[in-house]
Amino acid sequence: MQLGDEPLNELPGTGSAPSRARFGGNPPDVDLHAACVVALLALPGMGPARLERLLTWCGSGERAWHQVTAGAPAPVVGAPGRQGSSSNLAARWREAATGVDPVARWKAHRSEGVDVLVKGKVGYPDRLVDDPEPPHVLFGRGDLGLLGRPAVALVGTRRATPYGLVLARKWGAALASSGVAVVSGLAAGIDAAAHQGTLDAGAGPGFTVAPIAVVGTGLDVVYPASSRALWRRVADTGLILSEAPLGTKPEPWRFPARNRIIAALADVVVVIESHERGGSLSTAEEAAARDRMVLAVPGSVHSPASAGTHRLIAEGAGIAVGVDDVLSALGSRRPVPLPEREGRPGHAGSARGRASAVDPDEQVVLDALGWEPTVLDDLVHRTGWPIEVVCTVLDRLRRRNLVTQDGLWLTQRGDSAEP
Amino acid sequence: MLASISSSVLRGVDGVPVTVEVHVAGGLPAFTVVGLPDTACREARDRVRAAILSSGLRWPQQRITVNLAPSGLPKAGSGLDLPMAIGVLVASGLLERERVDDVAFLGELGLDGAVRSVAGTVPLVDALAPSTVVVAPTCQAEAAVLGRHRVRAALTLAAVVAALEGTAEWMPCPAPVGGVEGPSSWEVGDLSEVRGQPLARRAIEVAAAGGHHLLLVGPPGAGKTMLAQRLVGLLPPLDPSVALETTKVHSAAGERLPAGGLISRAPFRAPHHGSSMAALVGGGSSWLRPGEISLASGGVLFLDELAEFAPAVLDALRQPLEEGRIRLARAHGAVSFPARFLLVAASNPCPCGNAGTPQLCRCSEAARRRYRRRLSAPLLDRFDLRLGVQRPDVDRLTGQGAEEGSEAVANRVSVAREIARRRGVGANSDLSGALLDRHAALDPSGRALLADALRQHRLTARGVDRVRRVARTLADLSGEVGPLLRDEHLSVALYLRAEPEALLGAES
Repeated sequence: MQLGDEPLNELPGTGSAPSRARFGGNPPDVDLHAACVVALLALPGMGPARLERLLTWCGSGERAWHQVTAGAPAPVVGAPGRQGSSSNLAARWREAATGVDPVARWKAHRSEGVDVLVKGKVGYPDRLVDDPEPPHVLFGRGDLGLLGRPAVALVGTRRATPYGLVLARKWGAALASSGVAVVSGLAAGIDAAAHQGTLDAGAGPGFTVAPIAVVGTGLDVVYPASSRALWRRVADTGLILSEAPLGTKPEPWRFPARNRIIAALADVVVVIESHERGGSLSTAEEAAARDRMVLAVPGSVHSPASAGTHRLIAEGAGIAVGVDDVLSALGSRRPVPLPEREGRPGHAGSARGRASAVDPDEQVVLDALGWEPTVLDDLVHRTGWPIEVVCTVLDRLRRRNLVTQDGLWLTQRGDSAEP
Repeated sequence: MLASISSSVLRGVDGVPVTVEVHVAGGLPAFTVVGLPDTACREARDRVRAAILSSGLRWPQQRITVNLAPSGLPKAGSGLDLPMAIGVLVASGLLERERVDDVAFLGELGLDGAVRSVAGTVPLVDALAPSTVVVAPTCQAEAAVLGRHRVRAALTLAAVVAALEGTAEWMPCPAPVGGVEGPSSWEVGDLSEVRGQPLARRAIEVAAAGGHHLLLVGPPGAGKTMLAQRLVGLLPPLDPSVALETTKVHSAAGERLPAGGLISRAPFRAPHHGSSMAALVGGGSSWLRPGEISLASGGVLFLDELAEFAPAVLDALRQPLEEGRIRLARAHGAVSFPARFLLVAASNPCPCGNAGTPQLCRCSEAARRRYRRRLSAPLLDRFDLRLGVQRPDVDRLTGQGAEEGSEAVANRVSVAREIARRRGVGANSDLSGALLDRHAALDPSGRALLADALRQHRLTARGVDRVRRVARTLADLSGEVGPLLRDEHLSVALYLRAEPEALLGAES
């Protein structure tokens, strides 16, 4: 590319648009503005805010790209910068942009099967059109039709407890079979469990909706590496979206930025577990800023993984104790064909169903178990029974899926489902 | 003039008989030692000469040749000083040949003629054929352990010669010390001090009764070390044959022996996690010294902070764990040491130690996985008992009601060991194949229980036999002698053998 003849000090918006010939080839299906935005997004330190300022200043993607390749110390680039002075960043951008052909970049994305959704063009999600901070482009792989469904975001901490994980998985499944698209972030912990539940439902009979994931890295960069298999299954059956072009590595600032897209794409945001200063609280804030309904799941007051959700409730978030609460928040009028009804302690219907299934010995162990993860030592102590008896009764309960074990922790399930 | 004197040298933990042949003849005065002596052994020349002169005896100004037969066997150590000196005296005619008939000698000499002790007296004496053996006074109890020899001792070379000639008395033998003796003054502690951890208490009882290797995983302060120390107090006194074997190993390693000479209480060894391979499994260049696993033979080897040991060192434990012996080969030969120990290991679940408790762990996923990978699956598989331990509640630690003490539990343990012996094995952990099928049979409901556990990934195929052995021990402890395993025992055995994933997190 020869761009040296472009005047460097030219004011944005007044220069002539560069001819298409300069971009090597002139394929009719290439959106030049979008291609340049894609190339700009790959520059170091280029976040949504900087891109927004750059495009406002230059007027179009093509012009912004020219400024960058020319190394112009645009006033926007250094704005509240943590990456050094503006000229420094401009130099780095110039270096990174040298030899890059935006059109080739664009084609590379297309040939990888990645859809590029451009703001203001057909295919851009409706929910993002009026967004205060909409992404200029969104990369997607999978079924874009899912974006038209009613959507619920199930989010929460990566350091989740068995309580939160079981809940995320079950609600993911229940929502998916109620015709709701479940949105989450493919992180470890609650996110992964929610996606997993959605996929579980998809594996069963009946109609379900596949999951939507919004990630903070490029669509070809799996993070965390442990969720590779889940990542692939979500991409195969559902939809993965990202604001970052292919090859973008995980960076700390990308995940809060990703959270705003999750919040924007969902009609209701459910925080299942969150620590006192958890990342999912930022999702809740972004959702509140966009007038989305925020629901939080209460937990034990002893559990630090529920401290954040309790704070949300104190600040006015709705309480979700079952999928019904989520669906009514969604305003769903349809009768909801849940795969299994929620049963909660004290719930009259389930208590009756329980009584026939649980014998007195088993009830003693369940009572000793309570509703928090418990180790066997505590059960032996609370019941005062010999270990042999406690283990035998526990095994009976486990066989019927009334008690699950995660690591050393035994947890009572919130329903009487037979496996 | 020729003299030949009986003695022995160490090879690993065994003694090898050696004949010290001394030839004194005319020629230029010289003193040579042949027959593959090592440095300490060759330096005997100077000590022997000085000791004889200091004792007021005459040094023959002739050509002296000492041959250590069998001459192809490398000899190490200073224990041949005394036999060489006696040989010189006999060969030069200063001591009558008949006086040393059927007498063997073991001891190092000081330049002043003092007779000093040597390491490995028990195996050294064991190798000697003559009916009388002369040793240093400090070794007398050790030498008498075997009881096959008349043990004589004297303070100096001059006193040895005088006693041999009958002009003086041997030193009196100390009265044998009765009672059960441990190898060290290790404070064992009582089981009643373990409070609020019923599962862990049961696990160490089962480990002691069935000889099952035990892995304890838990946060700092959960009492892992305390439990391991209590375990050794539950073990019955050593069998006479095992006691002798263990005593020989300790003697050969130069460890201090109890006053009575014989180690009859199960040893407890707790090497630090910085220990080298040679320290743990044994080794050395010229003199192969037994390592911690051999010193723990018959007792407990406690490896605290298992994941901090070098992985190569841990993997070296696998073969002795299977065979009960460690074979070490070096360029100049191979030796084998006993290594039949009960392995008790403790580990944190992650570098910060809190992974077992939800929400407390500060380690990154990557750090946890790195930690987890330090423990290889084949090693973890050797543990019949794998248990997570938690810090008990404070009110349970200070609560009322006495827990059962070590003595009561030790009684049950020795009964269970006796039952196992009648099955023809040392402990239930040795049950395998046909024996296991005969004594730990499964009924249909037991089979269903294990099948369920396999389906739920609580158990792997390789773990099935181990769970059956543990269930057998649980049954023996509860006085259940029938060959069929009951569900309750299988059920507890499953909880006592958690999968590594549950204790330490997933591997990948």
